[in-house]
Amino acid sequence: MGWHVPCGEPPGVDQPSLTLDELATSRFPLLEYAPDAIVLVDDRGVIRLVNAQTERLFGYYREELVGQPVEILVPHDTRASHVADRADYASDPRVRPMGVGLDLHGLRKDGTSFPVEISLSPVETRDGTYVAAAIRDVTERKAFEVRLRELNAELERASRAKDQFLASMSHELRTPLNAIIGFTGTLLMELPGPLAPEQRRQLEIVQSSAQHLLALITDILDLAKIESGKRELTFEPVRIGEVVAAVAGALGTMAAAKRLTLRTVGVDSETVAITDRRALHQIVLNLVNNAIKYTDAGSVSIAVERVATGDRAGVRIGVADTGIGIKAEDLSRLFRAFEQLDPSSTRRHEGTGLGLYLCRNLATLIGATIEASSTLGSGSRFTLTLPLER
Amino acid sequence: MRVLVVDDNSTNLDLMLYLLRAFGHDATGCADGATGLETALRGDFDAVLVDILMPTMDGYEFARRFRAAPALRALPLIAVTALAMPSDRERIASAGFDGYIAKPLEPRTFVAQIEGFARPAGP
Ligand SMILES: Nc1ncnc2c1ncn2[C@@H]1O[C@H](COP(=O)(O)OP(=O)(O)O)[C@@H](O)[C@H]1O
Ligand SMILES: [Mg+2]
Repeated sequence: MGWHVPCGEPPGVDQPSLTLDELATSRFPLLEYAPDAIVLVDDRGVIRLVNAQTERLFGYYREELVGQPVEILVPHDTRASHVADRADYASDPRVRPMGVGLDLHGLRKDGTSFPVEISLSPVETRDGTYVAAAIRDVTERKAFEVRLRELNAELERASRAKDQFLASMSHELRTPLNAIIGFTGTLLMELPGPLAPEQRRQLEIVQSSAQHLLALITDILDLAKIESGKRELTFEPVRIGEVVAAVAGALGTMAAAKRLTLRTVGVDSETVAITDRRALHQIVLNLVNNAIKYTDAGSVSIAVERVATGDRAGVRIGVADTGIGIKAEDLSRLFRAFEQLDPSSTRRHEGTGLGLYLCRNLATLIGATIEASSTLGSGSRFTLTLPLER
Repeated sequence: MRVLVVDDNSTNLDLMLYLLRAFGHDATGCADGATGLETALRGDFDAVLVDILMPTMDGYEFARRFRAAPALRALPLIAVTALAMPSDRERIASAGFDGYIAKPLEPRTFVAQIEGFARPAGP
């Protein structure tokens, strides 16, 4: 196979219709004006024909090239091997790129060299078979590739530095908090000695503020990780029932302390979603935690139901409470960072205002959505809708 | 119970020693890994607590040497560290510790946790 140089009407399949001279006299403009340098070489390696781009690329007039060995265009250090490779090609002439994986270079008349990419093809003419080399200057592309590699390395370094920064930050903030929470705890446990009521009251403020600070640190680092794409996700089959049971188990005492009924509805062992277990657990934990926190009497229920969203099978986890509820006009503000609706400071200090913001970010990561509906004074419902497959 | 605590941060060391002693245990503190290992080899302890991020010898290196010493191999070793990111937890879980406690520690339950790690529930 190869190029059968056509002319006018379609040639017979194996019937070369041009001579080399006819080719050379520009009866084949596609070759003359091709964007690549095209060099036709005979079986002895002598250049027989070049196009306009060859002149531009190598800085020779075509008259200087025709009749010269093709190695005139090859840098000195690779000339010898080029001769051998040419013989190889002659024994098996096919259309193929040259020197795959090698860094090929061309040599200009002024002695400078430049990176090239070459494809080879046998060309049959009426007076014999030649080899056509299409040569492309890849200086710009190479430079671009180098720049791209540098940029990638830089990004990777920056990302590692950010990772390291977050890890150190978490460690450094937790270390002094350990002393604050720890020694406030020993005092409140009255290990060094009994406390007067006012001392106890003040120490409890220190303790809850320290806990609040710890919650903020945890949430902010979590968010920083999500936002820098550093939150590691593992998508695996997760039994929704297990996650719901784990959350109900973890928050059971908190609900009981407020005399609230904590119920689960529709939990089975068959509903399995391909998702990140930690993210799902964190979202449900936050929603149920809120439901308990913002409910003074009644119940909190976690309901699981299968749904179809469009053509995809999904599961819906609804967290409903009989609590204080949310004003209609506030529903859209809930998911913003540091947004807390209750103006009374006691409730505000129980949370960070980051919980729902974090939930929404996590939900996006696992392809889920969260919606809220509520009636002020009678309760709220938060719904997480999650695809079963990724 | 005799407990050895290794932590380069003197305040955190103070807190852990104080809590352990307040609950009636015999607690010894060391401020670096090398001294900690020597002390562990010389003493007769029921459990060893070690911080992870420490200069010169970190908790991972400490655990490797600790497990390599025939006299210490079976002694409960517990990491108490402010490294609390999930990747840290995973690394610690596979580094030869018998237990892991994150800082800030919970003062009310800390000593009970240590007791649990030191004497794992029977079969
Ligand atoms: N179940 C709920 N019932 C009523 N209000 C809620 C409920 N969940 C969240 N909110 C309101 O939304 C705000 C933001 O929630 P969140 O981001 O979790 O922050 P916080 O840490 O304050 O709980 C809360 O401060 C509260 O005013
Ligand atoms: Mg919340």
